[in-house]
Amino acid sequence: MKTYDVIVVGAGPAGTTAALRMAQKGLKVLLVERGDAPGSKNMFGGMLPNCPIVEELLPGFWDEAPWERHVVKRILTIMSDVSSTQLVFESKNFDNQPYNGYTLFRPVFDKWYAEKACIAGATLLTGCLVEDILYKGNAVSGVRIARDNGDIRAPVVVACDGVLSLLAKKSGLVKEPKPSDMALGIKALFRLPEEEINARFNLVRRQGVTQEFLGCTDGIRGGGFIYTQTETLSVGLVFHLDAIKNSGIAPYDLLERFLSSDPVRRILKGAHLMEYSAHVLPEGGYKMVPRLFTDGMLLAGDAAGLCYTNGLNQEGMNLAITSGYLAAETISDAFQKGDFSSRQLAGYETRLKESFVLKDMKTFEKTVDLMHNERLFSVYPALVGSILEQLYCSDGKPRKKMGRLGWDAIKAALPMKELIADIVKGGRSLI
Amino acid sequence: MIVDDLFDLVSYRVHPEPHIKVNRTICERCIHRACTYVCPARCYLWNGEKERIDFAYEPCLECGTCLLICDKGALEWHYPKGGFGVRFRLT
Repeated sequence: MKTYDVIVVGAGPAGTTAALRMAQKGLKVLLVERGDAPGSKNMFGGMLPNCPIVEELLPGFWDEAPWERHVVKRILTIMSDVSSTQLVFESKNFDNQPYNGYTLFRPVFDKWYAEKACIAGATLLTGCLVEDILYKGNAVSGVRIARDNGDIRAPVVVACDGVLSLLAKKSGLVKEPKPSDMALGIKALFRLPEEEINARFNLVRRQGVTQEFLGCTDGIRGGGFIYTQTETLSVGLVFHLDAIKNSGIAPYDLLERFLSSDPVRRILKGAHLMEYSAHVLPEGGYKMVPRLFTDGMLLAGDAAGLCYTNGLNQEGMNLAITSGYLAAETISDAFQKGDFSSRQLAGYETRLKESFVLKDMKTFEKTVDLMHNERLFSVYPALVGSILEQLYCSDGKPRKKMGRLGWDAIKAALPMKELIADIVKGGRSLI
Repeated sequence: MIVDDLFDLVSYRVHPEPHIKVNRTICERCIHRACTYVCPARCYLWNGEKERIDFAYEPCLECGTCLLICDKGALEWHYPKGGFGVRFRLT
């Protein structure tokens, strides 16, 4: 039987980080990936927010990593049936290194990153599905892969097998999630010449943009996005699973409508459709994060539910990388003590709680409730459009003062009771 | 329509065995048949003539949606065997 010091399941950002760090510490690491190459199963928006720990892991990381554009500009577009309102933020500070965020392709990035783990001494096994956990007493002591003599032993396993983590479920750490705690993302990739992207978004060099859309989902809880890569655009929608289920509408039909809406259609003019993808993502926030360790096993990345949005930030990949790193540090300590019990591995949760990973998720714990407010996706986007249209409209009739106009529009849009409830809830979750 | 082209742009290495199995007897008790419209790869179709769900595993994107929205427990859900199934090139 094959034995290792550590088995890491899943060669995504969490798994590869953990494997790389532990290999650097001299441990005998096996990294198992079900795709025929790392990244080939991953759907990504997306932007990797700056994640300082990677420079500790691999000095010169960003000089070498295959990213596409660094994000200098963030756009929020609020759509109604007839109008759209944009908030555009750009900063010179985001144009200096270390950059604030990077767009990238996961099949390219993950493959490069896993090679770094191999160079550090980890063994990568691709095209290999983990089917079960092996136990010694109550402690996890390895995994079973779908091959002859597929039992592989190690005193500790790191489950980085994604949002649908089989290991987290089999170990009993995670129960089947509720559809309201999960989202479905679908995405179309379009090719457009680099100069065209630069011209349409007013960019130079390798500058990039992320654009988020609210009010583009037919009132279904969700939103839209565009990310710029060097010569491609990632365009898609994300919905709460319960909301899309109850809507009776197909996600690709909503995507079609989104792609043909004025603000998106103009950006995509002449662009060539290249690829389509979809995946669920954790959207339950802090309350959905399970116990992250058991005897002989840790959870990291999406498998641990480490992913959140507060409306403006969508973070996951940086949380995955950091959790993988902290899992590696914890396991390294465990090897020094020769103890892989949950009491020893609990240090992992302490580390995560001290880091931005669980601190940020805790900070925005209540934002999850705000994101489940239907009005945020229908009433309020329409209200923004209606107020601005009245402010700008010239029709030969006397104008109202701005405050009066806004107040009248709000009163017409929703009952006072709901408005107050939303202000209280919004205040609690963000202020 | 852009949507009609979407599904032809995904590449796969299809395994001869389906990785998801649908228990149609259980599906008979389902009234919403949400899988027929929520699945982003259109794997589930309602066959009105035969009054049953027709399921194709080949175009599956392995996204997990059906597993999470099926509230009747009609699915025996696994990932495809290692190295098989969807293969994203860039996305």
